[in-house]
Amino acid sequence: MSRRSGFLAAMVALVVLAATVAGSSLGGGKQQDAASAASGTVVLSGWGASSDELKLLKAVIRGFEKTYPKIKVDYQPITGDYPATMLAKFSARKPPDVFYVNSDAFLDWASQGVLEPLDSYASKSHFSSKPFYAPLLNGFKYKGKTYGYPKDWSPLAMEVNTALAAKAKVVPSRIQTWAQLTAAAKKLKPVMPSGAKPICLSANWDRLLAFVYQNKGSFLNKAKTKATVNSPAAKAAADYYVGLIRQDLADIPAKLGVDWCGAALGKEKAAIIFEGNWLFPFMQSTFPDVKFSTQRMLKNKTYGNLGFTASYSMARDSDNKDAAWQLIRYLVGRPGMKTWTSKGLALPSRKDVKPVAGRQPFLADAAYAHPWEFAPQFSKVMDTANNELTAVIEGKESTSEMLKKVEDAANDALH
Amino acid sequence: MTGEVDLAATTTAARTNETSIGGERWREALVGYAFIAVPMLVYAVLFFYPILYAVYISRYDWGVFGKIESRGWGNYSELAHDERFRIAIKNGLKFTVAFTILSMALGLFVAVVVNNALRFRGFFRSAYYFPSISGSAAITAIALYILSADGLFNKITGLNRAWFGESSTALWAIVGLNSWTTSGTVMLFYLAYLQAIPRDVYEAAAIDGAGAWRTFWKVTFPLLKPGHFFVSTLLVIGGLKMFDQAFIASGGTGGPNNSTLVPVLYLYRTAFADVKFGLAAAVGLTLMVLMLVLTLIQRFTFGRGESA
Amino acid sequence: MASDVRTQKDTVRPGETPLVPPSPPAPEELAATGEAAKGAPVVGIPGRTGAERTRAIVVYALLFGIALLYFVPFLWTLSTSLKTLPETAQFSLLPKHPSLDAYRDVFTQFNFKRYAANSLALATIVAVLNVFFCALAGYAFARLKFPGREVLFIAVLATLMVPDQLRLVPIFVKFTQWGLMGHYHAYVFVKLAAAAQLFLFRQYFMTIPKDLEEAAKLDGAGYFKTFWKVMLPLAGPAIAAVIILEFEGTWNDFFWPLVIFNAAPDHNTIPVGIFSFVSEHRTLWPQLTAGSVIAIAPIALLYVFFQRYFVAGVASAGVKG
Repeated sequence: MSRRSGFLAAMVALVVLAATVAGSSLGGGKQQDAASAASGTVVLSGWGASSDELKLLKAVIRGFEKTYPKIKVDYQPITGDYPATMLAKFSARKPPDVFYVNSDAFLDWASQGVLEPLDSYASKSHFSSKPFYAPLLNGFKYKGKTYGYPKDWSPLAMEVNTALAAKAKVVPSRIQTWAQLTAAAKKLKPVMPSGAKPICLSANWDRLLAFVYQNKGSFLNKAKTKATVNSPAAKAAADYYVGLIRQDLADIPAKLGVDWCGAALGKEKAAIIFEGNWLFPFMQSTFPDVKFSTQRMLKNKTYGNLGFTASYSMARDSDNKDAAWQLIRYLVGRPGMKTWTSKGLALPSRKDVKPVAGRQPFLADAAYAHPWEFAPQFSKVMDTANNELTAVIEGKESTSEMLKKVEDAANDALH
Repeated sequence: MTGEVDLAATTTAARTNETSIGGERWREALVGYAFIAVPMLVYAVLFFYPILYAVYISRYDWGVFGKIESRGWGNYSELAHDERFRIAIKNGLKFTVAFTILSMALGLFVAVVVNNALRFRGFFRSAYYFPSISGSAAITAIALYILSADGLFNKITGLNRAWFGESSTALWAIVGLNSWTTSGTVMLFYLAYLQAIPRDVYEAAAIDGAGAWRTFWKVTFPLLKPGHFFVSTLLVIGGLKMFDQAFIASGGTGGPNNSTLVPVLYLYRTAFADVKFGLAAAVGLTLMVLMLVLTLIQRFTFGRGESA
Repeated sequence: MASDVRTQKDTVRPGETPLVPPSPPAPEELAATGEAAKGAPVVGIPGRTGAERTRAIVVYALLFGIALLYFVPFLWTLSTSLKTLPETAQFSLLPKHPSLDAYRDVFTQFNFKRYAANSLALATIVAVLNVFFCALAGYAFARLKFPGREVLFIAVLATLMVPDQLRLVPIFVKFTQWGLMGHYHAYVFVKLAAAAQLFLFRQYFMTIPKDLEEAAKLDGAGYFKTFWKVMLPLAGPAIAAVIILEFEGTWNDFFWPLVIFNAAPDHNTIPVGIFSFVSEHRTLWPQLTAGSVIAIAPIALLYVFFQRYFVAGVASAGVKG
């Protein structure tokens, strides 16, 4: 080959190569018609599900795969320590494509840069976030960008064992205030089996804080710059909470021989507990014979509740982002959410999906549910808070000391 | 020492210019290195290099995706002021002291009983060693079951506590559990030491009219000094390294109100819950230094009984 | 453990019972000590006086009492694993209608089939590889001469002083960078050549008389052939001990599988499986106990038949802290 033609051939080859590279990056990156072009396998992960939840999730996935036949969903639930396992996967840069993010872990993960911002995907697919409940949606925004869409939510409610209530001549629907709770517990005390207590209270701020809100207290100020938990309102709430244990009207799960209050209700070690939607599948599968009535959460000076939610989010290191987006869009879209919440295992986070019947006690508190979310790096603060609460319950310190310590820890973390 | 002698022989051989023997020695050395290559590589990469790397990591703020920014010795000063670290060390020492004493007492007791058996000694020795071979996870699960508020232990003793659920009892429950599972190992050590005691000592004591109890305390126990030292050294090191049981029983949190937050659990949480690998590396190094110091203290105060 | 370093450098000749820790002598020695002990009780001439008889009764009562105490937890666990959950609330000694439901649940619903397969595979691989590499290196340290041999051997023993918790973070970071996390071979790498087993082999090889090697050399055998065909076959007891100890150590290992397989939970071993179960369903007693039985039974079985080898590594394995 002569020099010149060789040179020409090389140039042509180079141009072709460049065009291919450019073309593929254009074609593979931002796809105009995402729905038809996205394909491949998407790995979906979440924490372990009960068998009912599993059935529903699989139904949703089947619906998705029918609508998008080119995309396969590989569901890999994670048992054990969900945050630690996800962390290991993030570190190894081999995370699942789509996964749950619990609201209290969200800010941590977002600030560490492991989540993919979703606004551009949403606008390209004309996906509207209007139907979502604003407080829930805002819980998954970081620095103005959306990093997840709420998949469902649940506040707390009060569950009362109907058999024991009847025996004690207590009417569950009449327990609405703190005073009424105390009175009901006193009436329940004599009819409780041995080793049981009227109320099960967990030594955890994810229950106590609801009482604090009911007393018009709070944990952080609106701007999240300072801790407001050390207030007379919060102290009164804590005193009431711990007071129930002191008066022998309540006890913590460990003392009742169980690991959470749901099991206490099931094993009839307590007659009144405060749990969310997650209680229902548990009771149905493990203790189907124990009948209980669900009542709206209490009020004192006002109604106060906590909103527990989780999002579907995408990993920044996902290698199939378009397909992953299609999955997220479907899961939190109307059809997906409708199927997922059809058994009442959780409440829909969209206004245009009606929850199943019998969830009125939860919905009634929707406006009063404060999202269970604080600030980045806050898990240590909650650890401290829960440890201090345990100390107070065990009589090792006073509620004022606890509140001071929690306030200090929170202010430290907020810098 | 054999090594030195051989090296001398090697050089002598080389000097006498017996090339065939020199060549043979060279070949033997090469084969020797080849044979030990894989383990030495493993030790270099997984034991020695990590020490240096840990020092490196400990001087940074290190997150999910790697190093974030340099902190010099900042992690160590943060550690010195961390209340949870202090709690962890306190718990570690509390646990180690109680665990060491209880394991030694239980192991020695069982060893003496077995040693006094005329028949079936082997059978009982095997029986008492059995708990030592069951894995930590399984045995902790069993303990969680038996020591739960409505478990077998409470049923039998009539007590009514949530042993792992209360901050005042959780750590002691682990002390009891680990002492039980380690007593078999301690028993084996003490059996070996007991057998080293010559029989005339006991005969002399019997002639002096000493009963079994006095013989044990005035004769046997002091003669077991090397055993006490050896066993206690191992137990102290093992106690400070305790992790599995505290992790599983507390669900990885450090127990009710930090009561089961032992040093290694604190390290694990710093690394995987707080995602602060730099700080965690600092904790690891600090712990190792602490263990070395304790071992040295132990050897200098109690080690005089050991024959060099 | 500097003291151990000093004493361990001396060859322990079979039959000697040193006053200093005998750690770790070859397996026959500890068994031999047991045999010797059987014939030499510490009491005076047995059965001679009434006092002796009382003493014997007391001793046997204690022996049985302690044995009972030591085994009740295991028996109770076994019994519960055959019950159903409501039945566990009544404290009957034996199940009224024994059922294997809990085991079925554990194997299918709670993934123990996977975990058991992982545990078995890893324990076997680690045991075999340890035998090969530790025997080879132990032989080299015992019989071959190479410059720096003593220093290198001290380095080997020094690794026993590096605690796992110190290695955790650097190994995690490095393995993550190398993309090893979650892989089976990462775990095998971590457990590849245990210094304690290397030491055990070296001690053992040092007790074998040299004439066999001389004979092999005269026959023209190379170094590896001598090792493979002559020395290794003679190391039966050491091989058995190492296999048993490494199998048990890997089967029961909780810490490293927890760390390494966090990124790939499907690769987890039984101990981590138990932890996952405990963290989610702590109070499902029949299933919990069934899982524990599955974790303990294989080792218990090995123990019944190969007990002397478990005991062999007592000093080197250290203590369950």
